[in-house]
Amino acid sequence: MDAFIQDLIAYWPQILAGLKNTVVLMVIMSVTGLMGGVGVFYLTLSSHKAVRRWMDGFISFFIGTPLIVHLFLMYYGLPELGIRLSAFTVAVIGFTLNVSAYNARYLATAYNGLDKTELEAARSQGFTRRETFRLIIMPQVMRMSVPSLTNQAIQNLKDTSVAFLIQYHDFFAQMQEVASTNFQFFKAYVTAGAVYLALISIIVLAARRLEKRIALPGLAT
Amino acid sequence: MTFGNILIILAEGAGYTVLVTLASISAGLAVGLSLAVLSTLRWKAVSLFLAVYTYVFRSIPVLVLLFILFFGLPGIGIRISPFVSMVATLGLVSGAYLAEVFRGAMAAVDGDEILAAEAAGLNRWEIFFYIIMPQMFRMSVPGMINEFTSVLKYTPFAYTVGIPEIMKEAMSLAALTLRGLEIYLAVGILYFLIYKLFVMFFMTLEKRFRVPGLASK
Amino acid sequence: MALIEVKDLAKAFDGKTVLKGINLELSEGQSKVVMGTSGCGKSTLLRCLNLLLPPTSGRIIFKGEDITRPGVDIRKVRADIGFVFQHFALYRHLTVEENVTLGLRKLKKMKATEAVQKASHELERVGMIEHRGKYPAQLSGGQKQRAAIVRALAMDPAVLFLDEPTSALDPEMSREVVTVINKLFLENVTMLCVTHDPFLAKYISDSIIFLDEGVVVAEDIAERLFYNHADPRIKHFFMSVIDHR
Repeated sequence: MDAFIQDLIAYWPQILAGLKNTVVLMVIMSVTGLMGGVGVFYLTLSSHKAVRRWMDGFISFFIGTPLIVHLFLMYYGLPELGIRLSAFTVAVIGFTLNVSAYNARYLATAYNGLDKTELEAARSQGFTRRETFRLIIMPQVMRMSVPSLTNQAIQNLKDTSVAFLIQYHDFFAQMQEVASTNFQFFKAYVTAGAVYLALISIIVLAARRLEKRIALPGLAT
Repeated sequence: MTFGNILIILAEGAGYTVLVTLASISAGLAVGLSLAVLSTLRWKAVSLFLAVYTYVFRSIPVLVLLFILFFGLPGIGIRISPFVSMVATLGLVSGAYLAEVFRGAMAAVDGDEILAAEAAGLNRWEIFFYIIMPQMFRMSVPGMINEFTSVLKYTPFAYTVGIPEIMKEAMSLAALTLRGLEIYLAVGILYFLIYKLFVMFFMTLEKRFRVPGLASK
Repeated sequence: MALIEVKDLAKAFDGKTVLKGINLELSEGQSKVVMGTSGCGKSTLLRCLNLLLPPTSGRIIFKGEDITRPGVDIRKVRADIGFVFQHFALYRHLTVEENVTLGLRKLKKMKATEAVQKASHELERVGMIEHRGKYPAQLSGGQKQRAAIVRALAMDPAVLFLDEPTSALDPEMSREVVTVINKLFLENVTMLCVTHDPFLAKYISDSIIFLDEGVVVAEDIAERLFYNHADPRIKHFFMSVIDHR
């Protein structure tokens, strides 16, 4: 154990850099994924049938296929077309598409639970589709989706570990490095697991506070 | 080599993908159901265990858990095969999620029905098997489909421990032919097909056993 | 000149004709109630008049302008027509006051303070001022409907449409809402109300339009319509609804 801890200390700067990469990737994809999810959700409400179809297809495809395939397709496939993207770029694009699809589905589920007469009321008041979306639909749908969106953020943190398979130097990749120098695989991976657990606990606590702050009477989150 | 050829070669790995998925789903169902049943006991120690279990296995990334089981355990003298470690990983993780799904569905069963069953003289187990479980499963369909989809989407990780499923085949093929773009595109299509088949299968199953008024939204 | 003039308005859903050539007029300061058996098309009529539902044929003249023609800014027209719904349709994420000010700020481009002032004034009129900070979920049915009426009135609409404003309420709360609408009636607010509640109809209307199977059968004052009408459909309808009370 002592030797392992010494190795951890020796590799500390690298591990910390990896941890930073993990958190950065998680934060970026949570933000882009939320924006993308809202955009896709908006388009699923389009008055054009073709647009709705495409969005349903988009959501279904990204929910139905593994993330790692999208990452490999971009990281190992695109260079054939002369397009060489960094592991980071690939991860951000791949995760954004994937997370957007999930978030859009959560928002759509919340939308189905909305009282549609409110939308009729908004229309009868003279609001445009876009105003109705921004002023009536979004404030309610976002509140109702907080638990699913938080779960997605947790999922995002866990999924960053997949990026190590396309050579992104995330936290897990660094722990891998530590393990392969001292062959203490068990300790290294369990430590990694414990760190993910700790990071997720922070998200959970933050989410609880957020839920309390934005809760409104009669609008269950 | 045409795109069709690629699909056919990869489809050979699909057998393993489906096998890993089905085995993991079974393991997940077994774990999830056991935990859900345990939770009905309402013992303090048990609920503490359940809380810790679900928290831990919903927090650790699948890849990390797989590496702990396959590469880590031998370090403390436990050696398990790639297949078992993959299935155990996904079984433990999806079990944690499924337990939540089942518990949610059980909570939605009308308490009066249980009271009525007690009044009729059914014991705890009979109530569970004849009253709660049939309703719980029907109400859990959407949650189960979500979880099974996740399991399917995690199966490509099996390549990291050397199981010759679709992803592994694709990587070998890509290394050989240097046509990664088409190959990984084909992988995506294959997975999407398997996903669609899975969903269709469960939807038919759900329809077959549907009872009016027991909607699974 | 009438504020609203409807000519041969027809509406069909999936081949089923709900409205078969409606003609009616509503002048400024007038209040009319539309009654009829359920399924006679009265709610559809109201929704056609502000084009929430596009009419199949016919013309709707609002303030001298045919609003069924293409190119009409229907949102402007809608903003000029207050609409009160059977199930209140208050925005759940907004307080009573915010429900009222939303349209003022976003559609009438009022400043926030100005909008709040206007909202307070209107809430005062219906005795809802002390509930201004509550969310819809914290209100009784009658309070919700009063808030919804204020939301519509605050926009200073040319006319107020009410779609079964009391039928989701129990008798006591219904009475509270009838009182408010009656007050508006006495203030000569222009109204067009759909209801099957004869009590409401009697206290808020200059005349009652009776609709059956998508056509106007009669238009008259309550007293002449309610009791022993010559037309058996009307007589039968009012016998049943009035006996129920």
